[in-house]
Amino acid sequence: MKKYAFNELTVLQYVFFIHGTQVGIGVLSMPRELAEEAGTDGWISILIGWVCATVASLLIVNIMKRYPGKTIVDLIPVFFGKWLGMVVSALVACYCALAAMTVIANGIGIVNVWILSQTPGYVLAILTVIPTYMVVQGGLRVLGRYAELIFYLTLWMPIVVFSILPYSNWLHLLPVLKDGWMPVFSATKSTILSFLGFELAFFLYPFLQRKQYASLGIVVANTLSMLIFMHITVFSFSFFSPDEITQYTWPTLNLWKVIEYRFLERIDIIFLAFYLFFLSTTTLPYMYFTVFTTSQMVGSADHRKHLFILMILIVVGAWLYTPTFIDLKKWSEVWSMTGMVGGYIIPVIWWLAIQLFRRGKGGQKG
Amino acid sequence: MGMRGWLRRRRASAKDRFSHSSVPVPAREISDSLSDNITELRTMFTLTPDLVIRTFESKFVEGSVALVYLTGLVDKSSVNNNVLRPLLSQQSEGPASIYDLLSVGKVFNIYDFHEVERQILDGSSLLFIEGRKEALAVETHGWPQRAIEDPQLEASLKGAHQGFVETGMQNIALIRRYLPNREMKIKEYWVGDRAPTRVSLLFLADVVHPEVLQEFEDRIKLIRIDSILNTGELEELVEDNPYSPFPQFMMTERPDSVASHILQGKVAVVVDRSPSVLIGPATFASFFQNVDDYSTRWLVATFIRLLRFMAFLVATFLPAVYIAVISFNYEVIPLDLILSVGESRERVPFPPLLEAMIMELTLEMLREAGVRLPAPIGQTVGIVGGIVIGQAVVQAGIVSNIMVIVVAFTAISSFIIPNYDMASAVRLLRFLMMGLAAMFGIIGIVIGMMGLIGHLISLESLGVPYGSPLAPVRFSDWKDLFLRLPLWSMKNRPASARVVQSKRQGDNRPRGDGE
Repeated sequence: MKKYAFNELTVLQYVFFIHGTQVGIGVLSMPRELAEEAGTDGWISILIGWVCATVASLLIVNIMKRYPGKTIVDLIPVFFGKWLGMVVSALVACYCALAAMTVIANGIGIVNVWILSQTPGYVLAILTVIPTYMVVQGGLRVLGRYAELIFYLTLWMPIVVFSILPYSNWLHLLPVLKDGWMPVFSATKSTILSFLGFELAFFLYPFLQRKQYASLGIVVANTLSMLIFMHITVFSFSFFSPDEITQYTWPTLNLWKVIEYRFLERIDIIFLAFYLFFLSTTTLPYMYFTVFTTSQMVGSADHRKHLFILMILIVVGAWLYTPTFIDLKKWSEVWSMTGMVGGYIIPVIWWLAIQLFRRGKGGQKG
Repeated sequence: MGMRGWLRRRRASAKDRFSHSSVPVPAREISDSLSDNITELRTMFTLTPDLVIRTFESKFVEGSVALVYLTGLVDKSSVNNNVLRPLLSQQSEGPASIYDLLSVGKVFNIYDFHEVERQILDGSSLLFIEGRKEALAVETHGWPQRAIEDPQLEASLKGAHQGFVETGMQNIALIRRYLPNREMKIKEYWVGDRAPTRVSLLFLADVVHPEVLQEFEDRIKLIRIDSILNTGELEELVEDNPYSPFPQFMMTERPDSVASHILQGKVAVVVDRSPSVLIGPATFASFFQNVDDYSTRWLVATFIRLLRFMAFLVATFLPAVYIAVISFNYEVIPLDLILSVGESRERVPFPPLLEAMIMELTLEMLREAGVRLPAPIGQTVGIVGGIVIGQAVVQAGIVSNIMVIVVAFTAISSFIIPNYDMASAVRLLRFLMMGLAAMFGIIGIVIGMMGLIGHLISLESLGVPYGSPLAPVRFSDWKDLFLRLPLWSMKNRPASARVVQSKRQGDNRPRGDGE
């Protein structure tokens, strides 16, 4: 009956799991993207994005409440039948794989540009694949522990950013809404995508130990991510001038570059190295759910075989083909589009369908 | 789980391999003729000069009696005074049965030669009596053994100065002295087909989680092997992940430490003939705790705890960080510092990794040489190593000054870790991290860290998460993790041990005169 009893997540693990998935590659470039669209009013877009993401994630939790003990992968065959269900499941797996690949490729690309410029991409791919396998083979339980531990281990990073406080110029943020609301709304498109990761609640809900906290947990996770985005964006806006910031590809890294202690220079290198932890909390869940979906499709409970194949594919892929940053941008766009569908449109439609169905049934349930 | 499944398969196949020896051969019954029995004994124990068979007549039984034992395994005075003397000096043919004459506590009947063989080899004396289809086993163990001493590997400042010895029964007695409670139960198993060893599981029946206990028992029962000589061998046969560098069970020579773990709801395994006791399930954090922590003031103990965890980080990562910073990411350290490091490295022809390897390996060799040598020669090794190599190697321009400092600091740190097995694991990890750092710099170290974390959190000991209370986080256990808060604040047993009864004390918070 309880298919997933072995892999239960505590509430905190669930919160950090989703939060970890949300905070990924986006943080590095977010200040620039927002500045390009909305100038220094971009932080308002984060708030709007946060509201949208929270609504969508609450919808997902509400939907999943109706199907206790089932993940989205269990539900797909019920709705679509066997063969069409296979196709839809494959799409879900592809979505997760795409998300994981985009983040990994981006991470490798940035490391290549910023620190290890001589190292070929596939060597870095091998490097990332080894710890990935070690964690993901343990299943969701270990992933939950990982997300939780990494959250605590990386807590120092936002705090260190405070040391640029003396150099920041808060006047950059004024006047609020200098160009009206339109740029703010157009920037919202990119922020709501930064919150992607909450759609994993489609998978996570049945694993949660205490279901009554599912809604609260996901709101907390979204809020944590919002705080991180807000923190980095506001600090970047106040530190760089509004025109300067658009010239950096990854303003967050440049922000770290100026922090300097008497015994330590170039903290950005240490920051970027530790940022791999943030990236890992994004890639590992997507990676896990890729192999989770595929192994459920073929009906095997052991996801490790598929994981192993996926790891080899990643290394071989990285060896044959090194994506340029323009390619990566395209990948991100595809991920964003599918994420828009999977994370926002489908929950809304599904939820509306449930509401209509319920009304159609009449007063049976009261 | 796959690892465990694989292990189980491997164990199952090992079972098949050994099955020929464990097929129960119908045991020969003891016959009522004494001479037949003695012949049987002689055919069983050929080439056994230490087997003593003493036949004599006693007044109270018709026919003769044979006393059989292995010299050296029995306590001679007990055999002479408590078995032989009463039987020989009995004058009247009184109503007393033979049991009333033997002034030994434990006497029991055995009926077949399998048991006879086992009891003789275990150090009991056997009495065969003409006309009886049974033998009397008299417990007269008394083999050569060591006196109880301070345990060498885990010296304690304020704790007890008793260490385990090589006799299982004595070790159990030492533990029982700390836990005079009828809920402390003992389950006994015999492990090994050729030389069976008595393996006793000690636990508090109303505290330990039944699943954990069951898992431990099952694993011990599955062992098919000639013999286990040491607790370490048993540990390797029952651990969860044989490929991990980390110890997954605690091994200790201290009875007080065993008692404290049993009180926390863990299971202790006493292996006869071995002075170490195995404790499971173990967690990563428990290897950084020490009994002395609880007898020093809590602020001091907290400081020492923090020191140990820092030592763990230093011992694992310091040489790697040094290599990374010197050979890869020199932009991270300020110019003045890099200049002074460069100055000291000026004459050194080797790349930092090689330099570090030379020093680390030298140090490991010195340490290993010191371990096996008698104390007076050990000191010489220390002098040769410390002064001659340390000084000369720098002057000769083979290794830089700063590298010597780094290596020395690392070595000191690894000695701070109180558990020997954990310290050894850290030493191995250090080389791995050094390699990664030499190849990929700081990125390599972070990847290594990620792998280390990934390994630690997926590792389990008897099915209990090894990383607990760090991952999964159990804040209630953090009172006794990096900090050692006052004892009265730890009202419950640690949740990481998975217990069924968790309360361990009431409100003991001292209140001054005011209340």
